Amino acid sequence: MGKVMLDVRELTTKYITRFGEDVYAVDHVSLAIEEGRSLGVAGESGCGKSTLALSLMGYYFPPLYYTSGDIIIDDNNISGMDPDEVRKSILGREIAYIPQAALNALNPTQKIIHFIEDVVRAHDPTATKQEIYDMAKGLFESLGLPAEVLQKYAVELSGGMKQRTVIAISVILKPQVLIADEPSSALDVTSQKMVIKMLRNLMDNGYIKAMIFITHELPLLYNVTDDIMVMYAGQIVEKAGAHDAVFDPLHPYSKGLMGSIIVPEEGLRDVKLAAIPGVPPNLKNPPSGCRFAARCKYVRPECRVYSVPLREIGNGRSYRCVISEEELRDIYAREAQENG
Amino acid sequence: MKGYRNYFMNKLAWFFVTLVAAFILNFILPRLMPGDPVAAIVSRLAQGMSNTTGVQAIYEQYAEQFGTNKPMLEQFFLYMKNIFRGDFGFSFSQYPRTVADVIKSSILWTIALQFPAIIVGWIIGNTLGALAAYRRGTFDKILMPVSIFVSNLPAFGMAIIMLVIFAVTFKWFPTSGGYGFDLIPNFSWRFIWSVIVHYQLPFWSIVLITIGGQAIGMRAMSIYELNADYVKYSRFLGIKDRKIVGYVFRNAMLPQITGLALSIGTMVGGALVAEIIFSYPGLGSTILTAVLGQDYPLISATTLIITLMVLTANFLLEIFYGILDPRIKAAQAD
Ligand SMILES: Nc1ncnc2c1ncn2[C@@H]1O[C@H](COP(=O)(O)OP(=O)(O)OP(=O)(O)O)[C@@H](O)[C@H]1O
Ligand SMILES: [Mg+2]
Repeated sequence: MGKVMLDVRELTTKYITRFGEDVYAVDHVSLAIEEGRSLGVAGESGCGKSTLALSLMGYYFPPLYYTSGDIIIDDNNISGMDPDEVRKSILGREIAYIPQAALNALNPTQKIIHFIEDVVRAHDPTATKQEIYDMAKGLFESLGLPAEVLQKYAVELSGGMKQRTVIAISVILKPQVLIADEPSSALDVTSQKMVIKMLRNLMDNGYIKAMIFITHELPLLYNVTDDIMVMYAGQIVEKAGAHDAVFDPLHPYSKGLMGSIIVPEEGLRDVKLAAIPGVPPNLKNPPSGCRFAARCKYVRPECRVYSVPLREIGNGRSYRCVISEEELRDIYAREAQENG
Repeated sequence: MKGYRNYFMNKLAWFFVTLVAAFILNFILPRLMPGDPVAAIVSRLAQGMSNTTGVQAIYEQYAEQFGTNKPMLEQFFLYMKNIFRGDFGFSFSQYPRTVADVIKSSILWTIALQFPAIIVGWIIGNTLGALAAYRRGTFDKILMPVSIFVSNLPAFGMAIIMLVIFAVTFKWFPTSGGYGFDLIPNFSWRFIWSVIVHYQLPFWSIVLITIGGQAIGMRAMSIYELNADYVKYSRFLGIKDRKIVGYVFRNAMLPQITGLALSIGTMVGGALVAEIIFSYPGLGSTILTAVLGQDYPLISATTLIITLMVLTANFLLEIFYGILDPRIKAAQAD
């Protein structure tokens, strides 16, 4: 067992809308990532993946608010910390974030190097221009990005280059944990591959010690992360190793995300998400029973009444469903047969 | 740099096209009047003159100067030649002063009043709008309705309000003129002080009108920029709020420069009206006397001068904008 880099316990955060309503988009989420490992987070649009990413930073501003739970990064519990302290010593240094819309993440009217100067100086006001330039140049070159990028404005970079620049800037302060929110979704296949390769590189060369990779495409995670967590309506519904989550999903929602036909390896990327009928519940007013009940093919009367906690089944796996592991596997096997 | 050169050449070309259009319009419009404009003008002028030989002399001089008996194209070149020599003929209403002389004595007043006022109003308005967007709350709730009210007031309305409050009621400032009517322009302290005192009301009424419109636009742009993705990203990299607000102000300001370029014509129009209300000795008042006196050469020349000033200001703003916004260079480079 490696050292736990990021340990999150029962984290709950909420949005308060303009009309004063609470939206619990991250509901009692617990996770732990050990040194050298990566975690994928999958789920449909609106299930709270981005909110989870923001919440993990421990730095909240309206309309997102912290409610309860702990975030322990590299042995520091940051959930009770003074926000300015979090800003100075945690953000960018311990944990860094690549936003979902990374193509718009750079100020259009600022040169890349000037932004990097601002980032570095926010944490170390004494750094000189030359020091920062040398450091940035070294980092960019070691990540396979041309140093000329530093003298450009974001508008002068292609989409893929912009995305990779954002990744490089995110790790400039050598954070321990990197959270990438859909870093490849807006890109073409070639750029996607480059971005994923770059993230893997960061892990393999020890630039970062742990990574969270968020996507709405569960199959994409298979090649990228060690473990996978599936979210539905603000909650975790399943956690497993990447292989298990993709080839042996247990929760009916994970199963639905994977679709019924899986051609191992080759062509995996082309598997279309089988659309699950229905829409996720409104988080302003989530159902009291299992949140997936309304869309579940295997729903039982008790599902609508109470919800079960995440159930550990060994091997680092857990899932949240009243139906037992064996029964679920039976059901899925029977279905597979019927469909030929 | 190539991108910026393209942008610059493009704007320069358009500047010349609009200049030529302005000259052509200024040439054609009076000549579209039915009949011989010079004859019409002179006959109007002559009503106040008993000396028929004088009228005849003026008529001949104008016919010669405008070349009304020559073909259009030749007239146009004559017109251009006269303009470049600064020769706009005599003013009818202030005969025997020349139009060039009348304009020369009023143009500096206008430039000294309007450009500082518009710039000061633009800066204050943008700062207030950005603050309202950033602070929200009470500040925003007070500033916005006031700005909307002020910006919807016609220019003469604001000037009259200022006049009534500060000149008539409180008597803090003089009601009209550019300096005390008992003074002769010179460089004495007394004269300079008088100019400063007379400057205040027209200046602030233009500033106030400008502030209102700018604050509203800047507030909307700043709110938009504050929600931009780069703001969130910068925050999560630990950059201080003060710095981020700097990014936001700068980016929100850029469209405001374009906005200023677009509305500078209207602003100058409003400012000319303010001059009239305060009888300020600038081009606005000159136009008024010219119109009242049916002083055709003076009307024509002042409109031309004002058009040229607005076009030049517009051109300079666009050039400045191109330097500030790197997106311009990127867009023009390919
Ligand atoms: N600013 C906000 N105010 C109120 N509710 C919000 C806000 N942002 C998001 N939400 C709600 O929170 C829930 C989770 O949103 P989130 O953006 O985290 O989803 P996501 O899983 O990242 O989706 P996507 O795949 O589309 O990025 C949604 O129901 C959304 O409506
Ligand atoms: Mg998202």
